[in-house]
Amino acid sequence: MKRILIVDDAATVRLYHREILETADFMVDEAMNGIEALEKALQTGFDLFLVDINMPKLDGYGFLRELRGQDLPQAPAIMISTEAQTNDERRAYAAGANLYLIKPVKPERLLAQVRMLLGELHP
Amino acid sequence: MSPTFASPPIWHLGDFMKTDPEQGTIRISAEDFQKFREFFYRKTGIQFDASKRYFVDKRLVERVEATGTGSFRGYFTMLRFQASGEELQALTNLMTVNETYFFREEYQFRCLVDSLLPEIVERKKNRRPIRIWAIPSSSGEEPYSIAIYLLEHWAGIHEWDVEIIASDIDTRILAQARQGLYSLRSIQHLPSHTLQRYFKRQSGGYQICDDLRQSVEFTRVNLSERADTRGYRDFDVIFCRNLLIYFDDVSRKTATETFYDALRPGGFVCLGHSESMSRSSSLYKVRKFPEAIVYQRPLEAA
Amino acid sequence: MALIKTQCVEPIAEEAREAPRDCAGLISRLAASDPTARRWAARDLVDCPEAAAALVERLKQEVDVSVREVILTTLTSLGDPIAIAGLVDCLRSEDTALRNEAIEAMQQLPDAVAPVMHGLLADPDPDLRIFAVNILESLCHPQVETWLIEVIDQDPHVNVCGAAVDLLGEVGTRNARASLQRLKARFANEPYIRFAADLALGRLHEN
Repeated sequence: MKRILIVDDAATVRLYHREILETADFMVDEAMNGIEALEKALQTGFDLFLVDINMPKLDGYGFLRELRGQDLPQAPAIMISTEAQTNDERRAYAAGANLYLIKPVKPERLLAQVRMLLGELHP
Repeated sequence: MSPTFASPPIWHLGDFMKTDPEQGTIRISAEDFQKFREFFYRKTGIQFDASKRYFVDKRLVERVEATGTGSFRGYFTMLRFQASGEELQALTNLMTVNETYFFREEYQFRCLVDSLLPEIVERKKNRRPIRIWAIPSSSGEEPYSIAIYLLEHWAGIHEWDVEIIASDIDTRILAQARQGLYSLRSIQHLPSHTLQRYFKRQSGGYQICDDLRQSVEFTRVNLSERADTRGYRDFDVIFCRNLLIYFDDVSRKTATETFYDALRPGGFVCLGHSESMSRSSSLYKVRKFPEAIVYQRPLEAA
Repeated sequence: MALIKTQCVEPIAEEAREAPRDCAGLISRLAASDPTARRWAARDLVDCPEAAAALVERLKQEVDVSVREVILTTLTSLGDPIAIAGLVDCLRSEDTALRNEAIEAMQQLPDAVAPVMHGLLADPDPDLRIFAVNILESLCHPQVETWLIEVIDQDPHVNVCGAAVDLLGEVGTRNARASLQRLKARFANEPYIRFAADLALGRLHEN
């Protein structure tokens, strides 16, 4: 079973993504900011990260930069933002994201992108 | 122990307000539990899964009664909107078991001798002593555990001077720590040869030997008081375990900033097992060692 | 070599704090080249009520995160209208970390933030309105629910409403019920809003 870490400070968003992913038989863990996400990533391996940009303490960019700098098997990351400015998209990729999505994400779209990044589906 | 957690006022108004004295009428619904769970996670970083439902409900009902808020709804509103945060602290205390004994969370001491100290020593450019700060000192189990661990498990103790300073806000507990007299319960995790080497039997239990008592400096410090903490500088390692979870957001942030200034660049902070810096500060680098996750003041910063 | 005990715990290094401890001196130390000196100045300025403007000015150009955190802590303690205005400015910054630090600082200042909340929630920039809702997340103020209900009744942006619904699941009472139902109808094609509104409706404090 593939493991996914949802990183978002909003409890409802975490729950929404969790429901979508668990229904599709993924194993899900949660973190509410970048530092907690980094702690979890250092302790357990994940197959994919679903990361919000705006979070207290350590934001999504900071988390991805730190994660990419670690000596760990690297997993793909989807960055999810409320902001639709192209600047954010560029910054997300620069920080190490593999995909950038705008909130709110529809369930079928999220699943399709997750499966694609996990190599379970071809675009 | 913690400055903001001295003694929360506890009323027993609830005893008079219960409408049904035989069976508690306070019910925590599944939605209430979920809502509380998310709130508590955000505030303290402590996560309860569904298997803890009974444990959590029981304590919530206890606090609903103790505060006289009458229902989960009333209690949760108090918890969420109380400016002083006192009730959240009282509840956190109830939800966490805070006991101290020798070699508690031993993996951190192992991390100290196997990972942190070798790195610190390698970086050191002078022969100044290695400085370790244990806060809260509490009744002394933690600083003495560090001392024993260094003597027993770290060869570098023959080459380096080490200073251990243990601080607490409570002068009574400091006096107790200096005296170093412990119950059987407190020393039960110590190997017998360690017990024999560093303790002597007294009528009231076991007392730490004089050499060790002399080697730890105990000081009174209120972590929230700038004047108190100003002199604490140049530490290589700070142990601050199971204290910050009892602080409110601002005090916790101030405390981690104080630690930043108290550390030498590259110095480490060790927090308790269920604690994370993720609630208080992004100043530190998260470092994973084989034994534990530790927080480091970045080297490059001045 | 062994365990040793020093006789005093006074600092070995005094050089970082050699400037006079008066407010004007501290303000000038905010521009010192050594970040440790800047950090100490920012910390000690908590005793200078008129320092908010200088701190805000420094915050905008400060690159050392350790100094920034202390400036924000001091601004939170000062909590006057100048400090608040400076924090609001930070919400408009491109710097995500600075924005989130400002949000956290404002969460600690319910009485000072309340007078400006309406303006923030009516800002033309949807991102700024989301940050305003984020401030409400941990704000201890009796009007939090009222503000959130206004948001879900009026705000045209799905993500501003989404953030507000998240909080209503925590602080909402029966007063929010009708508005949550209207919101669901207004964003009928958004599965997230439907999910969040249903969750909040199930958790309303109702007697």
